[in-house]
Amino acid sequence: MTLQEFNTIFQNGLSKQNAGLVQLLGLCPLLAISTTLVNALSLGLATTLVMASASGAVSGVRHFVPHEIRIPVFVLIIAALVTVIDLLMNAFVHPLYLVLGIFIPLITTNCIVLARADAFASKNRPLHSVVDAVAMGLGLTMVLVVLGGMRELAGQGTLLSGIDLVFGEEAKQFVLHVVPDYQGFLLAILPPGAFIALGLLIAAHNWQKARAERRVHAAAPMPA
Amino acid sequence: MIEQLKAAARNALRSGMILFVFALIATALLVFTFSRTEPTIERSRQAEKLALLSQVLPPALYDNDLLASQQAVPPHELLGTRQDSARWIARRGDTVTAVVLEAIAPDGYSGNIALLIGIDVDGNVTGVRVTAHRETPGLGDYIVRSKSPWIEQFVGKSLTAPESKRWKVAKDGGQFDARAGATITPRAVVKAVHAALNYFARNRAALLAAESAPDPAPDQETPP
Amino acid sequence: MPAPFILDRSSVTQVMAWVLAALLPGIAVYVWLFGPGILVTLSLATVTALVAEAAMLKARGYPAKPFLTDLSAIVTAWLLALSLPALAPWWLIVTGTLFAIVVAKHLYGGLGQNIFNPAMVGYAVLIVSFPLQMTQWPGPLSLTDAPLTLAQSASVIFGGDLPKAMLDAVTMATPLDALRTGLLQQLTVDEIMVQPIFGHYGGIGFEWLAGAFLLGGLLLWALRIISWQVPLAFLAGIWLAAGFLHFFDAGRFGAPWFHLFAPSVMLGAFFIATDPVSGSTTPRGRLIFGFGAGLLTIIIRTWGGYPDGVAFAILLMNLSVPLIDAWTQPRIYGGATRRGKAPPA
Repeated sequence: MTLQEFNTIFQNGLSKQNAGLVQLLGLCPLLAISTTLVNALSLGLATTLVMASASGAVSGVRHFVPHEIRIPVFVLIIAALVTVIDLLMNAFVHPLYLVLGIFIPLITTNCIVLARADAFASKNRPLHSVVDAVAMGLGLTMVLVVLGGMRELAGQGTLLSGIDLVFGEEAKQFVLHVVPDYQGFLLAILPPGAFIALGLLIAAHNWQKARAERRVHAAAPMPA
Repeated sequence: MIEQLKAAARNALRSGMILFVFALIATALLVFTFSRTEPTIERSRQAEKLALLSQVLPPALYDNDLLASQQAVPPHELLGTRQDSARWIARRGDTVTAVVLEAIAPDGYSGNIALLIGIDVDGNVTGVRVTAHRETPGLGDYIVRSKSPWIEQFVGKSLTAPESKRWKVAKDGGQFDARAGATITPRAVVKAVHAALNYFARNRAALLAAESAPDPAPDQETPP
Repeated sequence: MPAPFILDRSSVTQVMAWVLAALLPGIAVYVWLFGPGILVTLSLATVTALVAEAAMLKARGYPAKPFLTDLSAIVTAWLLALSLPALAPWWLIVTGTLFAIVVAKHLYGGLGQNIFNPAMVGYAVLIVSFPLQMTQWPGPLSLTDAPLTLAQSASVIFGGDLPKAMLDAVTMATPLDALRTGLLQQLTVDEIMVQPIFGHYGGIGFEWLAGAFLLGGLLLWALRIISWQVPLAFLAGIWLAAGFLHFFDAGRFGAPWFHLFAPSVMLGAFFIATDPVSGSTTPRGRLIFGFGAGLLTIIIRTWGGYPDGVAFAILLMNLSVPLIDAWTQPRIYGGATRRGKAPPA
């Protein structure tokens, strides 16, 4: 894999084809779990892990899977991997598992995982596929983290609350009370807040893209 | 024609076999992970339940294995239950010190509120926790311990202190504090705790006695 | 097909001015029966709306003056203010108004483009985010011992510095809250209705307020500023849905008259659901729009998690407008295309 290939794949995942902002895939967990930064980051990383292993596995077996049964096989692979991660989280980060709850098993149905398996991994070599999955997963995680941070800050005036669910009771000191004595803005934490915040993020992304394009046009020499 | 059918059948068989092999591998993977994580998951689950129980029972009251003392309680109007609920017995040495009951407050603002209520042998409340509810966020959900200490005011209360007619929220002339504008939810909880105390008073012998038998039979109502 | 398409800015101003005028009887009754606190709320909402409107116009590169003077921002501010409890804290009023103007109006493209009624978006945001503060309704003056003066109201709104005991004495459950609370205590409707807060139809004071809004609404209809379909269908939807439930079990469901004269209904029927921009544009569509909103109001009031349903009902019907319009678009003979809503000029 050349550096350039690597760059292209990463740019696609993080920005151009960003799962959350551009493709708008896998929104259910995105919207449901991004109530706090820690939740969002955890689910994002879990999804990335599933995607990387699923894409790697799919790419590895792509020559043995007849075209007509590829979808059931892919779903089988993804479901098995998700269940494994579900069990591992249940065993080792139990409190966090309780918070993320149903959304871990639901990674199976997250269409971004199957989409990358089918659109990319089934046609590319394992290394490329894993890199693509990681890039896509990180792109999604990035959006989730920003969304979670926005909602947590607006909703309860803190950042990193619930970090003790991952690192144990001592980690409670890392919670940032950004706005002391905050009244709380419930809307941000409730489901509509997720849609509004995501809308704002997409708007910001589009705005930035439009500006970048304008700059390119301005820089290009006028045709004679 | 026959040849075509044969080819199709062969193809289907081949696809089926491939799918089968994948299913087999996935199952093996799951069995392996499950067997490795099961003990840890069970431990986490027990710890979680114990943590919940210990919130309604002061640690000084028991030195037995609370979880092992779990038994079924038949549905009863005073508990608001329609199905069997659970009951745990706290002992210190050989003496029974308290019991933890599950109860339902059926008249919350939006449906049932599930409660866990600790009651000591003298009929005093040792603690109450909400385990499930659907009250309006920001309005009725202050009955949850993580949102406010409201639920702590039940500690130490009994059927005689305060007397029956004071087992109400302040707005109805009772003893229990409630936030202005959100009295329906606390009213439901107060009523349910009071009813559970009544249930305890009526079935005290059966609730506490069943435990002393070495191999307790499913408990019954107090014999007349 | 006559439709209240907004033709030019001067006619917008005229329409908006009439809407404001038609709200005056309601405001007068409000002050008379519930005290002058509402005037503080109205002023604060108006100032916030104008500032937000000016800022958004500048940000979007529009000239401020012709749009600012079209009064539409003030109408939004007043409708929101009249939906809020009169003693709501200042930040509640500011937040709701900002959301209405900035998000619901301008982010959707400004006057004529917004798919949701801005005032109702502001209200929904507030009731979902701050349900506790949204229940601080002052009781009718005839039931309170110590009515608040204008200055006292202002100090409650801006400082919140009223002793809790006094605030408890001034605020009380609205008739709708009282009904819901009573029903949950297993009282029957008849047992609940003897409480002092309930008047003849909808609650002391509240029924007069509803009557004043009805009067203003009829004025708008007489001037042909609003169509008859939406309010009539809205009220019919409420009356039929409530009547059906009441007939089915009079002990557990409030009477239809009670539901009609609860404060928010008349305001919603004549001033909010009739918004030409976020409502349906076809005559048959307006009937469906109004009826659906009425039906949903009763459903949300009866089974929902929030005290009143008018705002949610209207927003949900706003959402259905493209579908309703597509269904009810009169088809030109021979023309095969189904057109969506024509954009207001």
